[in-house]
Amino acid sequence: MDRGDSRTRFANVVMPHLDDAYSLARWVTGNRADAEDVVQEACLRAFRGIGGFSGGNGRAWVLTIVRNAAYDWLRKNRSPAVIQVHDLEAVERVQVPDDATSAGNNPEAALIARADEAKLEAAIASLPAMFRDTLVLRDVQGLDYREIAAITCVPIGTVMSRLARARGRVIVMLGADT
Amino acid sequence: MTMTENDRLLLNAYIDGELDPAHALEFERRLADNPAFADERTRIEALRGVMRERLPRETASPALRRRVAALARPQPFATTWRAGWASMAAMAASVAIAFAAGSIATLVAIGPGSREPLPEVLVASHVRALMASQTVDVASSDRHTVKPWFNGKLPQSPRVVDLTAQGFPLVGGRIDVIGLTPVPTLVYRARQHVISLTALPASRRGETTLPPIDGYNIVEWTDGQLTYWAVSDLVASELENFARAFRAGEAEP
Repeated sequence: MDRGDSRTRFANVVMPHLDDAYSLARWVTGNRADAEDVVQEACLRAFRGIGGFSGGNGRAWVLTIVRNAAYDWLRKNRSPAVIQVHDLEAVERVQVPDDATSAGNNPEAALIARADEAKLEAAIASLPAMFRDTLVLRDVQGLDYREIAAITCVPIGTVMSRLARARGRVIVMLGADT
Repeated sequence: MTMTENDRLLLNAYIDGELDPAHALEFERRLADNPAFADERTRIEALRGVMRERLPRETASPALRRRVAALARPQPFATTWRAGWASMAAMAASVAIAFAAGSIATLVAIGPGSREPLPEVLVASHVRALMASQTVDVASSDRHTVKPWFNGKLPQSPRVVDLTAQGFPLVGGRIDVIGLTPVPTLVYRARQHVISLTALPASRRGETTLPPIDGYNIVEWTDGQLTYWAVSDLVASELENFARAFRAGEAEP
């Protein structure tokens, strides 16, 4: 592919998803300046690799590259503990009380619904990285399970498991009356 | 009854609409029988709602957008892109499609007598709209607002169909310029995907799904005096569903 073609494809495939790219990078890195570096690096990779984009879902393709660049950045700039792949079984099981007496009058749900932006951000930010990006891809960026599985390179069952655990943890954090 | 780990996965998938109809039906029965399931569902839905409402929409800064766009500039700047802060004018020239802001600019970019094929031009209009802060010139989910807006500007206004019930809410409308002709484009949404539906004077009959361009699918059909072109990054089968729903939909009286 000549460079003119690459430029047109880049403009068509990558540029429309820049906000999504930035949003994902910010959730993974935790701050704006680092997110911008990650997006620039990811876009450079995308531009070099645009010839390999076979069509299909441009957004998922871009987000896959952004996520890889963000994890490379984490590996370089954060302690390994932050990014270690958590053994799902080793992570403490989230216990949401199965209290049938609260049916119809769900005080936790009311607390969750009242959570403000800062509390919500803090709860999401405290999740292990793999849970956090699954939750963000689903509930912030609105991707479906199949797309998330492709972006995070895991089977759909793992996406389901991570998502259920991520939501369970955030629910416990927001539902605790503090 | 206590929820097992597997129940939680199923409940989350059910809420996300990821269960196939048979499993969803079966799960609904269990949901009705177990107050604990219903409680957990309320909590998950509360979380989904609050994330959607309270978390601000993140946008790339104009500076970042410029730096990334500079990647697609002609050589030799690509190697020094980190420092490359070109003027807006230089970039507008190189990524004209991406930066054309408004109908006049699009007209210039495409140019009269352009030989660029129509599907490419329509994809470019769609991409330009995605990149603008607003994908529409008139934002309204009410077809009784959108249709008159076109009536005041164009000789011919498209059918505007309410497809909210089918999962394609109307976002609004805009005017695209194809060659030298301003044409109406309706904008619908399917989940997070934007669909641009452009109406042009009728060309040929039948519904056709064209080969995708850079990941954007295109479906085209003719209805009376107008040919409709739907462009979206929605998967082809869903875009065809949209086309069918639109054709079957009841137009503005």
